[in-house]
Amino acid sequence: MKNNIHKPKSKIWMTILPMYLFTIIFIAGPLIYMVALSFMTKKDVWGVVAQFSTASYQKILKPVYMNTFIQSIKLSFATTIATLIIGYPFGYFMAKLSERYKKLVMFLVVVPFWTNALVRMYGWIIIFRSNGVLDHILMKSGLTRTPLKLLYSYPAVLIGMVYSLLPFMILAVFSSTEKMDWSIVEAARDLGASRLQAFLTITLKVTLPGILSGIILVFIPSMGLFFIADILGGGKVMLVGNLIRDQLFTTRDWPFAAALSVVLMIVTSLFIWIYRKITHVKELEGIL
Amino acid sequence: MKGKKIVAVLLIMTLAVSLLTGCSGKKKEVLNLYTWADYVPQNVIDGFEKQTGIKVNYSNFETNEEMLAKLENTKGGDYDVVIASDYIIKIAKEEGLVSELNKEKIKNYQNIDPIYQGFFYDKDNKYTVPYAPGIPLIVYNPDQVKIDITGYESLWDPSLKDSVGIMDTERVVNGIALKTLGQSFNTEDLTMIKKAGDKLLKLADNIRILSQDQTQDYLISGEISVAFLFTSQVAKALKANPKLKVVYPKEGLGFGVDSLFISSKAPNSDNAHSFLNYLLEGKVGAKVSSQIYYLCPNKASYEFLPKEFQKSLVISADDITNGEFIQDVGKKATDLHNEIYTAFKAALN
Repeated sequence: MKNNIHKPKSKIWMTILPMYLFTIIFIAGPLIYMVALSFMTKKDVWGVVAQFSTASYQKILKPVYMNTFIQSIKLSFATTIATLIIGYPFGYFMAKLSERYKKLVMFLVVVPFWTNALVRMYGWIIIFRSNGVLDHILMKSGLTRTPLKLLYSYPAVLIGMVYSLLPFMILAVFSSTEKMDWSIVEAARDLGASRLQAFLTITLKVTLPGILSGIILVFIPSMGLFFIADILGGGKVMLVGNLIRDQLFTTRDWPFAAALSVVLMIVTSLFIWIYRKITHVKELEGIL
Repeated sequence: MKGKKIVAVLLIMTLAVSLLTGCSGKKKEVLNLYTWADYVPQNVIDGFEKQTGIKVNYSNFETNEEMLAKLENTKGGDYDVVIASDYIIKIAKEEGLVSELNKEKIKNYQNIDPIYQGFFYDKDNKYTVPYAPGIPLIVYNPDQVKIDITGYESLWDPSLKDSVGIMDTERVVNGIALKTLGQSFNTEDLTMIKKAGDKLLKLADNIRILSQDQTQDYLISGEISVAFLFTSQVAKALKANPKLKVVYPKEGLGFGVDSLFISSKAPNSDNAHSFLNYLLEGKVGAKVSSQIYYLCPNKASYEFLPKEFQKSLVISADDITNGEFIQDVGKKATDLHNEIYTAFKAALN
């Protein structure tokens, strides 16, 4: 009898082992490899030699490459702010819908994920290009006379970014609004607060974790989404992601590419750390 | 409990057996071809399979560098025939990943036009067969452009603001700036490269798009009015709109050859040789060049080329000897090239 009870417990490590192995092999391994690579030396023509060097990190400090980081962070900030402005009201009102409509709207928010992101970006090309859908509508309605050069510009990239990351903000705001205890707002109103006051002092504060996790969920991926800059920016908007790709595939400077990735990771970890400091929350909200 | 275990064991055994039988069929002759997507026309592959009974496994890469990294991981194995660009073949050769050709097995070897041989990556013609040579050229739409375009310098003209398309290739873009300064693509003179970088920044205002693939489409659709295009793109643009004008830049031409080679540990070396032999047949060569729109390096193919290509895919030896390859330069020059190109791209938005 006694043995039978202890048996399952003693073998529990066997079920956990694959998970640890997976983490070590596919996450920790490549990470260590990347950090090691970033301290190696590039060979003249092809490949690397295992010779310690901090040259790659010094190279990042050059104004040209620092500028790429600044550009990326700027675009990420712009993307985050735009998604917040659109996504917050969306998520907020979505949470207040009746059960039936809530499900429907949720469905509509998630549907785009069923199509490959690349394909969806090509859809934007059809809308934006010279003499494209948008141009036709604008010219027919008499608002513009000549085709606009909308595609391959910074605004086009920004729209693409906002479009692809908006659902994360909506879902984060939605999940924190939905959990909210509305009786607190009612209490505030009973005590004489105006609608706006109640919103600013209660609702906004209670949904703050959702807002912050939405910000993180949008900001961090936006630092690395280089294909949107490629497709809608016509190769003209250079982000850290594009720089890393170019270092790997055309310049063949692998240590530099690794160093850029390490720095990018440190920067993004920093933002997550700040998020934890502010909210005292360990889990991000809105991850379904 | 026991019953379930037995069922599980039986299931695993049947699975294992079925996997084994999958492999134990009669061994079929195969050829592993590794190159860019759609670079070898499907009807050419079908023709080879039909003639020889060898099955072609086509794998593709996106960049030369990706190819070399993979070939290095397999130590020259796995792939039989690779088609890649001149400069990367030189590196692959130096890394010991290319095998010497056995010309006795390639009866059609003599069909190669000698003007496409003896280049820096294979001086003694021991390792490669030219597949797709090309010269990047300027193409423009005379309806949209008011000036007379004669060379790279014209791309800087203020009237072309926001209307130029160019390939997203660091050394080519930096190279045309060097050419306007009367320099070689491959100069290692750092002050000259820097000067070219400064000049490049002034081109930024005119660039509408940087793109590696299908740049000709933007020219055809009118999104841009001038483009600097690879040979295949030039041919496609002209086919879609014969009114477009082609310019051989007066500052000097660039030149490149994508070539075939057999990897050092090719698992099916014999099949690889018969594939090269097949591609060098006159009729097959014409079929290839007239579909991928690169220059035809096969003199036995010239008579089989469709009329509309006789002029555009066969060019004089002079143009080729004047053309300059882009080759690897020293570390300092490489670093500087990367820096000025990154600065150029940052100036674009």
